[in-house]
Amino acid sequence: MSREITLKYWDEIRQGEALTQVTMAVPFERVILDAAATQDYFPGHHNSAYARHQGQKEIYLNTMAIEGFIDRVATDWAGPHTFIRKRQMQMRRSIYAGDTLCGEGTVDKCYQENGRNLVDISISISTDSGLCVPASLTLELPLSQST
Amino acid sequence: MSETFNEPFPLEYGRYEDARKLLNKPGKRVIAEFSVNWEMIKVYCSMVEDGNASYWDEDYANRQWGGIIAPSGLLLTWPMSLQWHPYKNREHYFIAMKIPLPGDTLINVATDTEFHQHLYLGDRISVVDQLIDISEEKQTRLGIGHFLTTKAQFFNQRDQLVAEQTNSLFRYYVPESNALEKNS
Repeated sequence: MSREITLKYWDEIRQGEALTQVTMAVPFERVILDAAATQDYFPGHHNSAYARHQGQKEIYLNTMAIEGFIDRVATDWAGPHTFIRKRQMQMRRSIYAGDTLCGEGTVDKCYQENGRNLVDISISISTDSGLCVPASLTLELPLSQST
Repeated sequence: MSETFNEPFPLEYGRYEDARKLLNKPGKRVIAEFSVNWEMIKVYCSMVEDGNASYWDEDYANRQWGGIIAPSGLLLTWPMSLQWHPYKNREHYFIAMKIPLPGDTLINVATDTEFHQHLYLGDRISVVDQLIDISEEKQTRLGIGHFLTTKAQFFNQRDQLVAEQTNSLFRYYVPESNALEKNS
């Protein structure tokens, strides 16, 4: 099975452009896989009783899983030639087992700095409960004629 | 607390005044237990369903980057401590776990990361973390505690700076009144 690769080039991107929306279900299995994949066995990510003790309603995804989903929203849109230079994120609401993630984004700014072709984007990660994680990223992308 | 839980990592307990004494004192440099490897990259990408060819397709990754690279979201995983080791006590590199405070649990609040270069298969990172800010006691909807801000620097085996991360978390305890409210 082959995958079609979409590539965005810096000089083709415009401020205000919307990123392709990405959704992903978060069953219990994914939260447990998250703990194993990231070697993060903090019990809020695998022990429901502990999560409730913390004031959470259920076990929840860790920061690294959310980072991975944010980065995926960026690179599914811009392509695998993207170098993520910066990522800022705030965990405003936890993402629980049973939730479905929705990632959306827009282009804030395209600029060149220190010889790099950069794009600032904003990404929002939401569930049915509303906005969970707002994020800002700076991507480095090639010029179309450089390929 | 109505039930007893295993501690997530060996948290240090103490007073706010003790914690402040650790401000701006870098922790010891920790060399990652895991070298960057394709198997863990695949498991992580499978978890977030990321089909980025830079992580899966050797031909593409060789042409684009000179080899398979690690997803940036795995940065914190490489230096994670093993659950058990024959020669070492389990010790988390994340200095926030070693700050003496009353809170018996924690939750991450914000993370800012800057990436200077990619990690490639076989790379082995080391990390130095330090506490750069600690709030006075605050009450939030989750509980009572302190916000800790830490700054970590990640290096590859050639001592080149790979990434820098500033992280904020809330170290807290749930007061009995909250627990009673939840259970009523």
